[in-house]
Amino acid sequence: MKLEPRHYTFLGLLVVVFGSMLLGIRPEVSISEETRRMHAYIDSLPEGSTLIYSFDHESSSLPEIRPAALALLRHSFSKGHRIVGLALLAEGTGIGYRLMDMVAHEQNKQYGSDWVYLGFKPQYIAAILSMGESLQKTFPQDYLGHPYDSLALLSGIINYSQVNAVVSIGDGNMAVHWIEYGQSRFGVTITSAMTAAMVTTYDPYISSGQLHALIGGLRGAAEYETLSGQSGGGLRGMLAQASAHVYVLLLILAGNVIYFIARRRGA
Amino acid sequence: MSRRVAQIVCAIFGIAMFLLFFSPHPTARAITLSITTEYWQLIYASALIVGTISFLRVNLKNIQRGNDTIYRVVSIIGLLAMPVCAIIWGINVGSPFMWTFENIQVPMQSTVFALLAFFVASASFRGFRARSLPAAVLLLSAVLILMSRSWAEGEIANALISTADWVRSYPSMAARRAILIGIGLGSLTTSLRVIIGIERTWLGGGR
Repeated sequence: MKLEPRHYTFLGLLVVVFGSMLLGIRPEVSISEETRRMHAYIDSLPEGSTLIYSFDHESSSLPEIRPAALALLRHSFSKGHRIVGLALLAEGTGIGYRLMDMVAHEQNKQYGSDWVYLGFKPQYIAAILSMGESLQKTFPQDYLGHPYDSLALLSGIINYSQVNAVVSIGDGNMAVHWIEYGQSRFGVTITSAMTAAMVTTYDPYISSGQLHALIGGLRGAAEYETLSGQSGGGLRGMLAQASAHVYVLLLILAGNVIYFIARRRGA
Repeated sequence: MSRRVAQIVCAIFGIAMFLLFFSPHPTARAITLSITTEYWQLIYASALIVGTISFLRVNLKNIQRGNDTIYRVVSIIGLLAMPVCAIIWGINVGSPFMWTFENIQVPMQSTVFALLAFFVASASFRGFRARSLPAAVLLLSAVLILMSRSWAEGEIANALISTADWVRSYPSMAARRAILIGIGLGSLTTSLRVIIGIERTWLGGGR
């Protein structure tokens, strides 16, 4: 196979990412205001608060989403909060359960009293609206098939009024639907962990207070891990991500230099 | 005649849904709940059936013609295997459905997503050119945001992050707000036009 210029670009990226991962350096991360706000919010909730963790993502964004979700779950469980997990995208269902189960085992949390997983409900707008009226009617049984009434954590939870906040772990604009239908109509506090590409989309919602707090991408996860004293995938992946960013920046620079030289010669 | 009936049904349900959504009355709430928990789900399931049948028809037709046969056969096997596994063994942890999801679908999708990085790298070399002043401003903003999301420390890093935050908080925020307000007003206007009957393109075009 004849190698074209773009193949060298690809190979360069491969070398940069693998090289940086082999170095194994743990970078010091400066904490952004957004992440600090999210951490402070989870910290400020009294022990025993109820949080809904909604896994609103597909498996493609798992490398970026997983570290953020784990950091948030570990912090929430360590503060003694009770967590109700669910998924509004089908692919998030199994992933969400695995992550919650893993962290719950780490911290000796009991299913049914410290956490429950309700599973997937299709048609996300309908599900968000429906939960505002009745969580039990939306999810008559949990992911494992237990009836709603049989789970101690859920007794007394009728709708969003008994929930302190929703944490949408998302890779698209699902948090917008939580804001539009959950926050605007029912007044529930919405927070989110999302992929870095989506962060700027939510700036107006953060500014208006409709989205209470967010953590963005791998960097957000690394910042959250630093704040809560964890060691996870966010910090591990930061060096690879940062070196890939620098590589892309150098390519942009090189491309522009070549472009201007060619234009001058042409003129 | 049938178009007129469709318009009337659309207008009645449009107005009813609007009133139900904003009404705090218990009866209105109960109707909204039954619509959102039952009827929307039914519509969703029906749409899924239509989509599945359409997918099968298109692929079977192409297999008959000999277009990309292997890929299409794999697609159909994938489409049928997952629900069959789910129906026979369930979708709980450790089931064949979940095994397939975790060990085939998740790695494949993550790989495809990761490939984006290679295309971004290639595009950054070939496509991101400061050909004009607006292009240069856009490029500079993108570089600033990219650098602010990377790992860097010290005074230069702090200055970069502050500048990127300023870009996000003012020029970018102003543009986004304008776009969001525009989308909101556009959606509202289109909905009203459909309910009133001015907008009829959804009936298949024409007047």
